[in-house]
Parts: sequence; structure tokens; C-alpha cells
Amino acid sequence: MVKAVRSLTIRHVDAGSCNGCEQELTALTGPDYDLQRYGLDIVASPRHADALLVTGPVTDTMFLPMLRVWEAIPAPKVAIAFGDCAAGCGAFQHCYASHQGLAAADIVVRGCPPEPGEALEVLRRWLASLHGGWNAPPRSAGDAK
Amino acid sequence: MPTAWVHFNAQRKAAGQELLALTADRSGTLRATWLDPSDGRQTWMDWGVSGGRFPSLSVVLPEVAWDEREIHDLFGYLPEGHPDLRPLVRTPRWPTTFLPLGGSRRPPLWREVEPDLPALQVQGEGVTIMKVGPTHAGIIESGHFVFSLIGENILHLDVHLFQNHRGLETLLEGETLDAVPRVVGRTCAADTVSHQTNWALAVEHLSDFTAPPALTRQRVVLLEAERVLSHLNDLAQIPAGVGFQVAHQRALSIKEYWQRCLKALFGHRFLFDTVRPGWAKATSGEALVEAVRGLRQRFGPWRRLVEGHVGFQDRMRGVGVTSLSQVIRLGAQGVAARAAGKPFDARQMLPWYGEFEVKPVTGVEGDVKARFMVRLEELEESLRILEAAAPRLPASPPRPAYFALPPDPSGRVVTFTESPHGLNVHDVTLESGRVVRYHIRAATFRNWPLLAQAVGGNAVADFPLINKSFELCYSCTDR
Repeated sequence: MVKAVRSLTIRHVDAGSCNGCEQELTALTGPDYDLQRYGLDIVASPRHADALLVTGPVTDTMFLPMLRVWEAIPAPKVAIAFGDCAAGCGAFQHCYASHQGLAAADIVVRGCPPEPGEALEVLRRWLASLHGGWNAPPRSAGDAK
Repeated sequence: MPTAWVHFNAQRKAAGQELLALTADRSGTLRATWLDPSDGRQTWMDWGVSGGRFPSLSVVLPEVAWDEREIHDLFGYLPEGHPDLRPLVRTPRWPTTFLPLGGSRRPPLWREVEPDLPALQVQGEGVTIMKVGPTHAGIIESGHFVFSLIGENILHLDVHLFQNHRGLETLLEGETLDAVPRVVGRTCAADTVSHQTNWALAVEHLSDFTAPPALTRQRVVLLEAERVLSHLNDLAQIPAGVGFQVAHQRALSIKEYWQRCLKALFGHRFLFDTVRPGWAKATSGEALVEAVRGLRQRFGPWRRLVEGHVGFQDRMRGVGVTSLSQVIRLGAQGVAARAAGKPFDARQMLPWYGEFEVKPVTGVEGDVKARFMVRLEELEESLRILEAAAPRLPASPPRPAYFALPPDPSGRVVTFTESPHGLNVHDVTLESGRVVRYHIRAATFRNWPLLAQAVGGNAVADFPLINKSFELCYSCTDR
């Protein structure tokens, strides 16, 4: 299935972040970065989203709630690991209640936390790489890990 | 007949002291450490757990109800007589034998169950239950809230946090001195300098090193720069809670200006990795003064905008009210406590702040407006301190540090600083240069129970506003 896309709507889930990634995500929505200019947006409902954006190393308690959000996002969909914790190289990787981040992320935004300008670059480059059409295969719930 | 343990702690509270930390260790000893605000002296008492049990303090000292539940969850020691021993940190996904600070530190085999825990709910005719979270519609941290509502109003709120619990304190056990700062500094992005400074103070104390004035001034600058950033963030969020988008967006832009200043001055937008034992990231006094001048130019008009907006001011008044007696009973800290009239600011207990003559900013009403106004004033006060400190910064601080990290400090110490969220305490035990036990008690941990009380009687639609006016971090509470 090829889906014509020029935009990406994102649903955010905090899975054990220190709040640094959240603050930088909020900065993206502010007047200095204004991510909506580029067809990107952070939306309230997973039903309105194309992507799940995860921050934090994925704590044990947040693992199932995160999967529920992933399941609620209609296919085709992508998973974004935002920040070093979610990318699997943060400070909390070896905590007993940490899942070492997202194992199968389609987009990885590195940084502790990622600087908003750089994060915007990564997301825009990914969008541009689709050349206006998206043929990502439909994915099942279990693929998030 | 109350035990000596109960007597000691109740007496400290009655004398107007602040509880710094109440925690346990693997050998079965509890320690409560108190701070006397009149002279800055610490006193503590140890109590041996007997047969896995200890007398609960919660009935006479409600502020430790969560501390005791945490000890029960992580160590397995039973606080006898505790009125509410539901799990606080534990989730049903942990096998019952798993005690992260009492038994094995190895990750357990998680049970595949939903992390729902029993909630306190009001029963009766017309009461509806509304559950929110742990995932949210906005860009915020994860927490689960169970509201009991009657019509539009909140009867009771049961707060279920620790969704972000990673197990930091267990992770730090056995670590070397070099490995600690990266983890401790990331306990919370909003209070990172405060956490880093507590660790530095602990090592320096156990190594008999007294920081020279040049170093303490560098740290004061970092701590105040962090307060400015955190208060800007919180001030930006409160207008968003009432839909005042102009003030929200403009404040985000001012915050962005300040983060760019921090990046230019100290190399990081949140000041991660800027304080270590014997060291603090240096900057030039002139550049700092220039950055503060730019902030004043932006902040002044914004302050006039929000203070002159009658609708906004009205919207905050009388919402989410806390009384001074609630604040004292629950041991609340920081802006939330000062906005209700408790004049405690831990900066007054720290000798390095002496030359800057910090005065606690207090409010009276204890509502959203009071918390907003306390932050406005504290931000201006921090700018004043930054301007006063800038000319006294060392021209060329020693490299790499003011003192060489000793190979094997040992002992136990409780250190604290005033983070943007209030009294932030670390209880650190080292043995031959390795961490034996590391306990972090952030101010927000004390303030969550107060928030749950403050929302009672308010419209449920005002919960985001009240929540933002406290702006409690989940990360340093959950650890």
C-alpha cells in the first residue's frame, strides 16, 4: 500500500524520561521552531497519529501502556525513539526496571536531550526521504519491541 | 507508650524542624535526618528493624506516609500501624519475592499483567470515577490519576505515580565515584544542577575538602541560572492551563532565549554535567551579565502583559487553595509551601549564599495566583543574584579541578540544596570510594500529597491549571 504523505502527526509517550526530552518537544511547538510549518505536529489522540514518539528507556510499568498506544495508531505507522534513553544508550540502560529503549525504532533522534533544531532536522529529512509516498508495510503490535 | 523512634521524630516536627530524609539500608537500619532551620544543624536517629518490622510514624507524622510505603515496597520492612499500606512503587508486574533494595538486585521476570493498582475511590450516589493516564494527550510525564467526582467537582484524587520508576538508587549501589554524576545529574532535567551539587557536596564533605569562595560562586551562578530556566518553564505553562496562548507562546520564546544563553555560557541547554566534586563549569562574568540583560529586556514586557491581564489574574484567584496548616502538616517544600506563607528557603541554610542575602519570597493565599506570583518574584531575585555574582567570578579557575578526587572516601552524609522545586536532599553512604547506598529525596515527593488535597472541591477542568501551578516533576519522585 502506498500512501501519499507530506505530513507526519506524532503521539508522544513518556516511558521513563527525565523530562528533558519533554521540555525540548514542547520547545518544538513554540514560536522559535514551530514544527507545524513543516507538516509535523504532536497530536492528542493516537487515532490521529502516524507515529509513536517514545522518550525514556521504557520502564517496566510503562511498557504495556506504551504498547496500547501503539496498537491504537492506525497502520501504516512508525516508531520514533526520541533521545538517548529511548535510543538505547542513555544513563538508565542498566536499571532493573528499564527495557533499554525501543528495540525497533524507524526514526532515531539522538541527544541527551536532543536539541530542538537538530530533532527538527532529523524528522524533516525522514519526511523528505519518502518523496511524497509512503509504502511502509502495515505493522503489528508486537513489532514495537 | 510511644517508642523512642516515634518520640524523637514527633519532637523534631513539633520544634519546627524540616525532615531531610527518612530511609533504610540493606542491614535493616532506618535513619531519619532532620534540619533545624534556626541554626542549620542536622540531627538524626537510627532505628533497627526488628523481625522485619518497625513502628510506623505516619499517624503522628503524615508527611512520611509515602516514605514508609516506599521502604515497605523496596526493602520489604513492614511499618507497623501504617494506615495505608497499598503499594506505592511496586507494580503487580513484580514477583512478590523481588525487593530491589532488600534482596536481589537482578531484574525479575516481569509478570504479564496490566500495572493497575487498587485505588481509593469515593462511593455513594452520584459519584463518578474518572481515570486519567498513565499516558496523556499532551507532552507531559506519565502518571495515573483516579478522580472521584460529584458533578463537575473533585471529591477526591488518588495519585498513582512511579510509572517512570527505573530503579536509580539500586543502579547507583556499588558504583565508582566517576560513574555517579552522569546518573545523578539526570534524575531530573529541571533540577539537574541541584542534584549534581548535592553529590559534589557529599564527596567533598567525606574528603574534608572545603570549597573556596571562587568555586561556591560558580555553583551559585549555576544553581540560579537553573532556577531562572525552571521558573520560566513553569511560568510559561500556567497561562496554557487557562488557554492564554499569547502569554504561553511568548514565555516559551523567552525560555528558548535563556536556553540558548545557557548553551553559549555553559555548553548545555539544561546545564547537564556542569558540577562535579571539586569542580564547576566556568563562564565569563561579562557574558553572564550580557545574557541577564537580554533576559530582563524580554521578561519585563511579558511580566507587564500577565500582571495587567485582569481576566488571567481572576482566573488564577481562589483556585487550588492550600492552607498553611496543610503545608506544614504534609512537610511541603519550595514554591508550593512559600506561596501559602511558609518562609522556608534552604538557600538560607547554605553558607555560600550569605554574601547575596537571599530573602524567601512568600505568598498568603496559597492558590494558583500565589504560586505564580512567588515564581515571578523569585525569578527576579535570581537575576539579581546572578548580576551580583558575575563580577566576583574567578577570572581563570584552576584546571581540571580545585581538588583531586581522593581514591577512597568513606562515610555517610546528608547534603541538600534548594532546587527550583524546593528542598532537594541526598543521603549518601560511601565505602572505600564506592557507593553503598544512595537515597534521593526530591522536594516534589513531599508536594504530591499536598497537590492531591489542593484539588479537592475544584472543578475537574481546573486540574491541569492547578497541576501546572505546582509543576511537580515525576522523574525525581519516581527515580
